[in-house]
Amino acid sequence: MERSKAIKQAAVPAKRPGLVRFFASIGQYIAGVCRDFMEGDLWVKLSALLWGSSCAARGQYVKGALLTVLEAVLAYFIPVVFWPYMSKLNTLGTVQQQRVYNPDTRQNEFNDYDNSFLIMLFGVIGCVLLLIAVVLWLRNIRAARAVEVRAKEGKHVNSFREDLTDCFGVKFHRTLLTLPVLGVACFTIIPLIVMILIAFTNYDRNHLVPAKLFTWVGMGNFELLFNMTADSTFAYAFGRVLAWTMIWAVLATFTCYFGGILLAMFINNKKTRGKKFWRTCFMVAIAVPQFVSLLLVRNFFADAGIVNTLCKNAGLTDWLYSIGAIPTANYIPFLTHPAWARPMIILINIWVGVPYQMLIATGILMNIPNELLESARIDGANAWQSFKSITMPYILFITGPSLVNSIVGNINNFNVIYLLSKDVYTTSDQLMANANANEVDLLVTWLYRLTQDQSNYKMASVIGILVFIVCAILTLLAFNRMIKGDKEENFQ
Amino acid sequence: MKTAKVFRQIGRHLVLLFLACLWLVPILWLVVTSFGVDKGPNLSTFFPAAYTLDHYKAILFPGSDTVSQFPRWFLNTFTIAVFTCIISSMFVLMVAYAMSCMRFKARKPLMNIAIIMNLFPGFLSMIAVYFIMKNLNLTNSMTGMVIVYSAGAGLGYLIAKGFFDTISKSLREAAYLEGANEFTVFWKIIIPLSKPIIVYTVINSFLAPWMDFIFASIMLNSGVSAQKTVALGLFAMVDKVNRNNYFAQFCAGGVIVSIPISVLFIIMQKFYVEGITGGSVKG
Repeated sequence: MERSKAIKQAAVPAKRPGLVRFFASIGQYIAGVCRDFMEGDLWVKLSALLWGSSCAARGQYVKGALLTVLEAVLAYFIPVVFWPYMSKLNTLGTVQQQRVYNPDTRQNEFNDYDNSFLIMLFGVIGCVLLLIAVVLWLRNIRAARAVEVRAKEGKHVNSFREDLTDCFGVKFHRTLLTLPVLGVACFTIIPLIVMILIAFTNYDRNHLVPAKLFTWVGMGNFELLFNMTADSTFAYAFGRVLAWTMIWAVLATFTCYFGGILLAMFINNKKTRGKKFWRTCFMVAIAVPQFVSLLLVRNFFADAGIVNTLCKNAGLTDWLYSIGAIPTANYIPFLTHPAWARPMIILINIWVGVPYQMLIATGILMNIPNELLESARIDGANAWQSFKSITMPYILFITGPSLVNSIVGNINNFNVIYLLSKDVYTTSDQLMANANANEVDLLVTWLYRLTQDQSNYKMASVIGILVFIVCAILTLLAFNRMIKGDKEENFQ
Repeated sequence: MKTAKVFRQIGRHLVLLFLACLWLVPILWLVVTSFGVDKGPNLSTFFPAAYTLDHYKAILFPGSDTVSQFPRWFLNTFTIAVFTCIISSMFVLMVAYAMSCMRFKARKPLMNIAIIMNLFPGFLSMIAVYFIMKNLNLTNSMTGMVIVYSAGAGLGYLIAKGFFDTISKSLREAAYLEGANEFTVFWKIIIPLSKPIIVYTVINSFLAPWMDFIFASIMLNSGVSAQKTVALGLFAMVDKVNRNNYFAQFCAGGVIVSIPISVLFIIMQKFYVEGITGGSVKG
């Protein structure tokens, strides 16, 4: 602890803050490009205009042609296809959809209207492409100058064939990463940017495209989430949903985690007979796909379901009613009353999750070096002591990183909550209902229902951003702790 | 002393028996309901009054039923799963190799971006993806689903990278000395040595379309039964309207889907544990 603080303090003066460093390095890069441009010969200067010219001058004809084609494609698409959208990004469109009588066809036709969402989407894609084009342009000037210097010094200049070979040699990472990165960029990063921007607009059911326009509103949506107003209960609902999300994430993760480990140890114990049989019993429960088992369990515990019938017949329902644990004498509201539904959902999640964790823990338990446990026994450690100081730290070391992931995963655990509560759980809290939330909602299920049922995209993306912030804080905290408690050496 | 031991031994197994029952009762209910005579959920007794194969017949040969089109769903999901599996396994292994075995300038920044991307709730971006797909005319199509499932697959490279990290560096260095290029090392050395993690990646990405509900529900929104995936179709069977007529068919469908999935899962779990334990040594 002391030491790490000292190291941090020693490191601080040398390092500037990340953002400053980032911009400084960009500045240096651009300065470098300018220097290369000034010092380069005519071909280098020309390559700022026609990307392939410098390559062609050094005999790299194919590469030069490819670069020029790429330049032409970008030079066509950005101004012609994307600029009409990019130019409207500041207002997100001004012309609303209308039906206008067209005297030529004698019919009412749509005018040439603006679609705010498409302006946003193609505007963002255009901006990203423009950024890429600028980066490529700068890099090309640098590369042209570098090749010129090599050529002047009489060094070897790669031919196209050699460039191709490099793609499977020293530059193999580019070959490997191009497609995956492209996929992530197009279908994760650009959509994410668009959705984050939606949080700063008024895109909701009153401003649905294409019939209506939406526009920028600044931080207004975030204020809705933190300040109660007369016509918005988002602040009320948000606090509750966030609290339940955190409780759920922690409980769901740790019950399954320790439940799985305990079950695995119980089955793997020397005294247990028929280990395979027991393991198979629990395996059967996960053989059924999660959505099937969840939908099944939901009907199993329904208000008029089989468990309620059995409880009624056994007299359990009447007894619970007599002690005041349930509001009606007819059924136990397993999934319909907040006080029952929340614990039930966690229990059902244990039912779903423990077998998985058992499998993982079984594999890890078998890998624990036996000498460690043997020597502990010789030293006179009892079962609990050896569990506490050998088994548990070992498992924690192996699965610790995935524990953080599974907390983040549980914050985003859509399936369990949605499949168990959809059509079943309705809230009686009017303030929650006004914000389209209910007591068992996680942030993600709330987000989902806001978009799918209410078309309230602006609040959905505000919530999405907050989910990200929560997850990011958790991950950062966990990483810091893990680096402190680095026990890698102890087990190797 | 000895009797106490025997009692503890019996107690231990009774606890296990109790737990196993707890875990198996709902599954048992799934199976008996699928064979029972009632069309809806059986509300009065645990076991049905009589048994029949009608629901299996109904679900396997649905004719022109507007709700139940199980064979089509199965085929749809299978097709999507095969292509998703091929593309996303390739992506994962490619990214994992680049991040684990090669050193280049953009490596650390890319890894950080991947961590940040994984923190956003997956389907936040899905709303915008939906509009992109709509513009490309790919909603309600299998191609669209394959793209949705596999485009971002590269982000899930961490476990495979962890596994590649454990493969000794000297193996690769020996190959470089022999004159092998990166591609040869990847294809001839790393891939053959990574069977557990490849099986894990392949099965995992194959199973994803079978398990997923949320993305399918956004992208396949036409309501046409024949276009659905298994998860979406079975979900529609137990909504408020259809439950009383289709619950037993839902159970039959659940049983049928469980068979191939559980076979795959049993194969995978062995490799899964190897992959996880192997992959996490260096984190």
